[in-house]
Amino acid sequence: MGSWMVPTAYLLGIGWYFATCIILGVVIGRWADARTGLEPVLTLAGIVLGLAVAMVGGIRMLLPFMRRFGTGPTE
Amino acid sequence: MKLVIGLAAFVGVLVWLGIGLFIAQGPQPEIIVPAEVITKVGPLNLTNTLITSWVVMALMILFFWTATRSMKLLPTGAQNFAEAVISFLVGQVEEIAGEKNGRRFFAVVATIFLFVICNNWFGLMPFFNAFGKHEDVHHHVFHELTSEHPKDLTLGEDGRYIEGNGFGGWIMDGDGGLIIAKPRTKAIDFEVHEGETPGEAADRYIVFVAKHFAGFEATDEELEHPTAEMVAAAAATLDGTDGHPHLLLGEAHAADDHGAAAAHGLASPALHQTITGIDFEGAKKFGLVIPLFRGAFSDVNNTLALGIVAFLCIEFWGFQALGFGYLKKFFNLNGVNAFVGILELLSEFIRIISFTFRLFGNIFAGEVLILMLTFLMPFLFVDIIYGLELFVGFIQAAVFALLTLVFAVGAVEHHGEDEHHEGHHGEDAGADAHHAHGAAAAH
Repeated sequence: MGSWMVPTAYLLGIGWYFATCIILGVVIGRWADARTGLEPVLTLAGIVLGLAVAMVGGIRMLLPFMRRFGTGPTE
Repeated sequence: MKLVIGLAAFVGVLVWLGIGLFIAQGPQPEIIVPAEVITKVGPLNLTNTLITSWVVMALMILFFWTATRSMKLLPTGAQNFAEAVISFLVGQVEEIAGEKNGRRFFAVVATIFLFVICNNWFGLMPFFNAFGKHEDVHHHVFHELTSEHPKDLTLGEDGRYIEGNGFGGWIMDGDGGLIIAKPRTKAIDFEVHEGETPGEAADRYIVFVAKHFAGFEATDEELEHPTAEMVAAAAATLDGTDGHPHLLLGEAHAADDHGAAAAHGLASPALHQTITGIDFEGAKKFGLVIPLFRGAFSDVNNTLALGIVAFLCIEFWGFQALGFGYLKKFFNLNGVNAFVGILELLSEFIRIISFTFRLFGNIFAGEVLILMLTFLMPFLFVDIIYGLELFVGFIQAAVFALLTLVFAVGAVEHHGEDEHHEGHHGEDAGADAHHAHGAAAAH
């Protein structure tokens, strides 16, 4: 793999992870809303939960990336 | 001279495009998302994607067995290639995970990478999605309309369909074995509507078939709500013309593979007879090709299976390295960390979904793109997309293997090791700055 290939593959993977978390939150929220008739409360809750999971998971995935490829702040 | 070469290239492209568009153009393809069942082994479905993955596995085993059968100190040929691939992968894995962990994860990560990339590239072979067995759509339609529990169609208690469903196909040349699509024919669809009875659907289907195959004249409105006279006229047109489909009426006709369904028949309210099938005589056949080979990861079952394997391996390594202390990452009673732990636990499971749909989405979309462009703009544009798909196949294999590796590294790390690493990173950065300063001074 070229020097650019690993970061490219890694960041592509993280992008999909973010999208999956949010879409899954919305889908489960909509399904739960349809079952309970609470629309749109659970959809909103699903979005918030999806975003939160995406953020926590994203940070966990990005930390090793930053360690390896990040150059840190420049003065 | 340059002008001549430029003109020649332009004309060449135009000719290539023209040959594709006007000579080699085929019928419109039918996109089917689930993998097609080739045959059944007991209760198990043997799908074309499963067959492909077995073929790829067999080829990989054969290659590596051949390459390593008689190893030499100075490798040549297949052994040389295999060693180059493996040493490249070992280098990449060890660079990310370190030597100790890298060796531990290598077997799984490299297997995933090689299996995915071989499947993705193998799926670009020209015989993929191109030939296989064919299924007559008239049987399919009658099977769906008459069986008690059709796959995507439900008959309500009042005898009407609850959900609509579309059936499609294209006119095929030949009547068995390998089927070559007849060029320049149109795909036609017949759709069963919600709230319709099987008899009404059968009447509409008779007019629909007569219009498309026997030149029977009917407007769109008449196609949707045909009168009894029109259905009778359509049936007569079909029966009175040679080389066109004929209705099989009256007694049950069980002389085909779908006998059970066809034997039931459909009672046509307009004809007051039971239609047991439609016989497509002559050269024109109405059918679907069920390809024998299809890219293994264009089936969500295979990507899900691989995602679950990756997930189980990661969790196994986590427990192996940290014992039950691994669970502390998720179950923590320390303030806000308790909430973060639960989010992390959720994120572990979401990874499976993310793995699954990332690979499936990319590979399936690529197949659809190639298939559609092969029929819309043959030769020219599809070549470019083939190049793109080679790249996508590689990148997706790399993404899958790399993320498995990175998650595995995360799983075996002690909790709070990130901060530790951050400290080291800071020191490293400091050291780098020092070196840079030294180098500048020396300069």
